Amino acid sequence: MLYIEHYSKIYPGGKKAVDDLTLHVGPGQIYGFIGHNGAGKTTTLRAVAGVMDFTEGTITIDGHDIKKEPVAAKRVTAFLPDNPDLYEFMKGIEYLNFIADLYGISAKQRTADIGKYSGGFELTDNLGSPIGGYSHGMRQKLALISAFIRRPRLLILDEPFVGLDPSAAHVMKGYLSELCQSGAAVFFSTHVLEVAEKLCDQIAIIKNGKLVRSGSTAELVGDSSLEDVFLELEGEG
Amino acid sequence: MKNFFVLLKVSIRSMLLSSTNSRGRSKKKAATGLGAVFLIAFLGLYLSGIYSYLLMKALAPSNMEVLVFIFMGMVALVGGLLFTTFAVKGVVFGGKDNDLLLSMPVPTTVLMTSRVTAIYLENLLFSVFVLVPAGVICTFLTQSGVGHSLLFWIRLGIVVLSLPLLDTALSVLLGALVAFVSARLSRGALGQNLVMGIFMAAVFYFSFHLSDMISGLAQNVAGVKASLTWAAPVLWMGEGIMGDWGMLLAFVLCCVFPFALMVMGLGRVYRQAVTAFAAQSVQSNYRLSAQTASGQKKALLKKEMKRFFGTPMYFWNAGMGLIMLLAAGAAALIMRDKLLAYVEMAGYSMPLLPMAAAVIGFCLCTCPIAAPSISLEGKYLWILRESPMEESSLIWVKVGFQLLLTLPSTVIAGICFSVAFGFPLWQGAVLLMATLLFAVGQASFGMLMGLCFPKLDAVNETVVIKQSMATVLSMFASIAILWAAAGLYYWGSSITWWMALALPIGFFALFAVVCIVILLRQGPSLLKRL
Repeated sequence: MLYIEHYSKIYPGGKKAVDDLTLHVGPGQIYGFIGHNGAGKTTTLRAVAGVMDFTEGTITIDGHDIKKEPVAAKRVTAFLPDNPDLYEFMKGIEYLNFIADLYGISAKQRTADIGKYSGGFELTDNLGSPIGGYSHGMRQKLALISAFIRRPRLLILDEPFVGLDPSAAHVMKGYLSELCQSGAAVFFSTHVLEVAEKLCDQIAIIKNGKLVRSGSTAELVGDSSLEDVFLELEGEG
Repeated sequence: MKNFFVLLKVSIRSMLLSSTNSRGRSKKKAATGLGAVFLIAFLGLYLSGIYSYLLMKALAPSNMEVLVFIFMGMVALVGGLLFTTFAVKGVVFGGKDNDLLLSMPVPTTVLMTSRVTAIYLENLLFSVFVLVPAGVICTFLTQSGVGHSLLFWIRLGIVVLSLPLLDTALSVLLGALVAFVSARLSRGALGQNLVMGIFMAAVFYFSFHLSDMISGLAQNVAGVKASLTWAAPVLWMGEGIMGDWGMLLAFVLCCVFPFALMVMGLGRVYRQAVTAFAAQSVQSNYRLSAQTASGQKKALLKKEMKRFFGTPMYFWNAGMGLIMLLAAGAAALIMRDKLLAYVEMAGYSMPLLPMAAAVIGFCLCTCPIAAPSISLEGKYLWILRESPMEESSLIWVKVGFQLLLTLPSTVIAGICFSVAFGFPLWQGAVLLMATLLFAVGQASFGMLMGLCFPKLDAVNETVVIKQSMATVLSMFASIAILWAAAGLYYWGSSITWWMALALPIGFFALFAVVCIVILLRQGPSLLKRL
C-alpha cells in the first residue's frame, strides 16, 4: 500500500531531518512510527501525505508516486496532522461537506458515513455549531470524522490520541481496526508506547532521522516491552 | 516598565512584519516590510499635502489658515478611526497569543496598555501624515507669518501627539462593541457587519458633509467656521495651533481625558473582556439530515464566499470598493443632472468616458480580494495541500471568486454611467471593455502578489488583510497601472481619437494577459513552495 524508498529530507540551511528511510506498509496493516521529539516522524508523515516536498527518494501510495501523480495518490489517502487547524468560520457539518466535495463523495454515502462516525464520536449534536467554538478534543474528533468518511486506502495520523478522551480513543481504535479489515492501511506516529504495542502489527523506530529498527511488533518487542526496546535504542550512541 | 516595552515591541513587530514574506528572516526581507510602511507613508504625505495646499492657497489671503488645520484635523480623526477600528478587534482583543501572554506574570493592565499603544502609534502615523504637511504648507503660504515661529511647530507637535489619543480611545470603544456583538450573537459575523455598516455609513455621511463645507468655503468662510460649533474640540485644536494656548490646553485635555478613562476602565476588566469576547457557545441541537453533494471547484468557491462574507474584517476592507462601485453607479443615475452641472461648472476639459472609466478603475483597485486570500489560508493550508486537487484549481478559484464579485459590479456601474451620461452604445461598450479587462488583470495581479508575498503565520487576520505587502502592492500597483493608462489616453488623444481609446484598452488587455500567463506558468510552483 505504502512504499517509502530511500526517502531523505534536507531543510533549507542544510539540516538533514530524515536520512535514507525505507519502509513498506502493507494492506490491512496498522503501522506505528515511533521516535523522540525532532526525530523526523512528522516530516515523514507530511511528505507521505503530499503536504511537504522532499529531497530524495520515492513515496508510492497504492501504486501512485506522490511526486508524479499527487492527485491520484491523495485521492486514496487521508492525513491528520498532530494539531489539526480547521476552518473556524465554518460549521462542523459544513466542513465535513467541504471535505466530502473535494473527494467527490456521493450525497448518499456522505450522509450515511457522517451519521455513523459523528454518532460514534458523539459529535452529531454539535455539527451545527461553528468550529471556532469547538474544544481541542471536538476539533480532533471532527478531523477524524473527516478522515474516516473518505474511506481512505491509506490513513496517515500524526499523534492521533492527543486531545481525545479515553472513550473517543477507544472508538477510534475500533474504527482503525475496521478500516484495516477492509484492506486499508494505517500509518501513524505516537508517543503512547502502550497503545502502539497493543494496536500495531508493525512498528518502525526512527532516531535522528534514521531508521534504527523496524519489523512486526512481536519480533521487535520479544519478551520485553516496547518501552524497554525504545529506551534501549535511544540510549545507544 | 521593561515588560511594557517588551510587549509593545511584540505588538509592533507583528504589525510591521506582516508586510514581509513569511519566510523572510533576513534583514533584507525585513526591510521589504518597512518599505511597504514607507510606501503608505509617502502616499499619505502626498495626498494630504495636495489637499492642504489647495485649501491653504484659498484661505491664507483671508487669514483663515485655522480652517485648514480644522479640516485636516477632522480628516486625521476620521481617517485614523476608519483605519484602526477594524484593527482593534484583532490587535487588542483577539490576538492569537492571548492565552500565552495572559498566563505570563505580567499585569493585564500592562498587556492591555501595550496593545492599545500599538493602536495609538498607528493613529500617530496617520496624524503625522495629515497634519505635518498642513504645517509645512502653512509655513510657506501664510500671509500672517503664523507658521514661521518655533512655537507654532511646538503647538503643532503637541496636537500631532494628542489627536491620536482621542482617535485611539474612540476606536478601542468601537472595536470593543464590534467584538462584543460578534461574541454575543449567534450570527456573529452578521451582527459585526451590521455595526460596521452603520459606522461606515456615518463616516460616509461625515465625509460628504465635510466635502460640502469645503465647497462652501468659497462663498462664506466666516459662516463655515461659525457653523463648526458641533466640532468644538477640533475648533480648539485649530485655534490652539494658531497660537491660543488656552484653547490648545482644552484640546489636549479633551484628548487625554477619554484616553486615560478608557485605559483605566479597560485595564480593570481586560481579562474578563478578552475572555467574554473569545467565548463562542457550542449548540447541541443539530439533527443530521440528508446531505447534498457538489463539485470540487464549487466547494472551494463556497469556502471563499463563506470566508469573505463571514469575516467582517475581510468584507469591509476588501469589499469596500464593490460598495463604492455600486454606490457610484447609483449616484450617477440619481444625481445625473447635478453631476453634469458640476462637471460643466468645474470646466473639466476631460471627456466623461475616461472619467467614468477612471472612477470604476479606482473602485476596483480598492477590492484586494484575491491578494490576501493565500495568506488567509495560513494554518489551514494543510487541508488544501492534502486534498486531491491541482494547485492551479485553488489559484483560479480564488481569482474567479474576486471576478464573480467585481465583474457584475463593473457591468452594473458601467451601464449606470453610460445611461446617466448618455453615452452612445459604442462608448458604453468601450467603457465596459476597458474596465472589465482591467478587472481581470487586477484580480490576477492580486493573486500573483498573494503568492509572491505570503504571510502564513500572521497573528490575526487584520495584519494580513490591512497591512500585508500583497494587499498594499495589489492596490497601489493597480493604481499605477490606471495612471499609466491615463497617460496613454492623453498621448493617444494627441494623435487621433480612436488611438486615445485603443491604447488604454490594449494596455489593460496586455496587463491581464501578462498576469494570467505568469499565473499559469509560475502560480502552481509558487503555491507548492509555500
